[in-house]
Amino acid sequence: MVDVGPRATTLPGRGEGEHVNETLLKLAVSAGLVAFMIVVAAWARIARPVAPLDDASARELLAGEFPDRAIDSLWFAGDGAGVIGRSGEEALILYRLGDSWVARTMPWRLALVAPVLRGKVLLKLRDPAAPIARLAVSGVNPWPPQTPGEALAA
Amino acid sequence: MILDPLKPAFDPVDLAVPVFVVTIVLEIILARLGKAKAVYEAKDTATSLGMGLGSSVAGAITGAAIFGVSIWVYQTYHLFEIPMTAWWAWVAVFFLEDLTYYWFHRLSHERRFWWASHVNHHTSQHYNLATALRQTWTGGIAGTWLLWLPLVFLGFPPAMVVIQKGISLVYQYWIHTEAIRRFPAWFEAVFNTPSHHRVHHARNPRYLDANYAGILIIWDRMFGTFIPERDDEPCRYGVVHNLGDFNIFRVAFHEWMAIGKDLAGSRSLREVVGYVLGPPGWSPDGSRDTSATLKAKWRAREEVNSKAVEPEQIAAE
Repeated sequence: MVDVGPRATTLPGRGEGEHVNETLLKLAVSAGLVAFMIVVAAWARIARPVAPLDDASARELLAGEFPDRAIDSLWFAGDGAGVIGRSGEEALILYRLGDSWVARTMPWRLALVAPVLRGKVLLKLRDPAAPIARLAVSGVNPWPPQTPGEALAA
Repeated sequence: MILDPLKPAFDPVDLAVPVFVVTIVLEIILARLGKAKAVYEAKDTATSLGMGLGSSVAGAITGAAIFGVSIWVYQTYHLFEIPMTAWWAWVAVFFLEDLTYYWFHRLSHERRFWWASHVNHHTSQHYNLATALRQTWTGGIAGTWLLWLPLVFLGFPPAMVVIQKGISLVYQYWIHTEAIRRFPAWFEAVFNTPSHHRVHHARNPRYLDANYAGILIIWDRMFGTFIPERDDEPCRYGVVHNLGDFNIFRVAFHEWMAIGKDLAGSRSLREVVGYVLGPPGWSPDGSRDTSATLKAKWRAREEVNSKAVEPEQIAAE
């Protein structure tokens, strides 16, 4: 569905003040209804169940996002909410957003030098739709990987 | 009811707002009770509904000016006197508006400038009634409303066109659901349905750039863009490169920003034209994927897979 243009709510004809008041009232009522629906959606708890990534689930998701890429190695975020796969000279990045996933690529060499701030590796994706990925780093899974270029969990 | 050709007697969308609220709540509750298929994630829902609210504001800002242009065209140039009180006029505007919508929608997917305005509607990775309200903020600026002017030029009163557009918009609301699987074959053959529109919202390569219909699916069948939903390939919703967060400003403007970034790096007029008017994903060196290349890669994989399966079947026999 697409909003294709003007509707009756936006039409001229009545006094300007009356029209503005009516529009503001509609907006306020709409905002209240929106808040109500969001509360109901949160209450219902009917999002997709999302378990922390493991080797199998990460490979399945990466295969769906990057079907033509072979994965050399995997690095898992400390909280299981993201994974970085190495595919040749590219990093295949996957991270959780709500109950869904976001995937991007970046050069492996740039991923390796990505900074770690407040326990998260910050990967600059250079994409206005997803400018940065933040993946949790733990003591068990430091970033960059201990043996860059080697298979970590192949 | 007085039918003023220059002032719509009613707004179908305004009238439908209570229905939107009740049905969204109902869909959520039925899903909670396990009686219907629906997935709602709170932040995603907030983004969808926030976009709907913002779209109302954007419409209020640009709508009057756009409608003013329609009135000007009608009063200055219209070819025929088409009475709003004639039944045949409503039948005609129903079909012609729906045909216009098909081409508007197709253009909005196949050319990047208009995709930038429309993409927000496809950014949810969920498909539910709230997704229907994830509406554009930049439709007025993108200028696609110009596509409806020929109807006014023909002689359909602006109010009639606006009402029919509203009816189409309301029709398309209820098909954003996974709760309804399929309708009887005759209905699926003629009308746009939840099944057809799920395909339209899917990011599976098989389903890309399909089912642009508003109310009638016949246009997709006629112009070769119809793809049926398959039980063996569930729809995965969203866009090819899903958004990185729930920020509604990013939802509304990310593709415009991406166009700006590409234009800033352009080195020739060809690149400028390609980045603005090429298909989404176009790049000078072909390093990015368009729907066409994604489909071609998918077909190649399917072919390889089918060839791999054949010897296994022969061996098994």
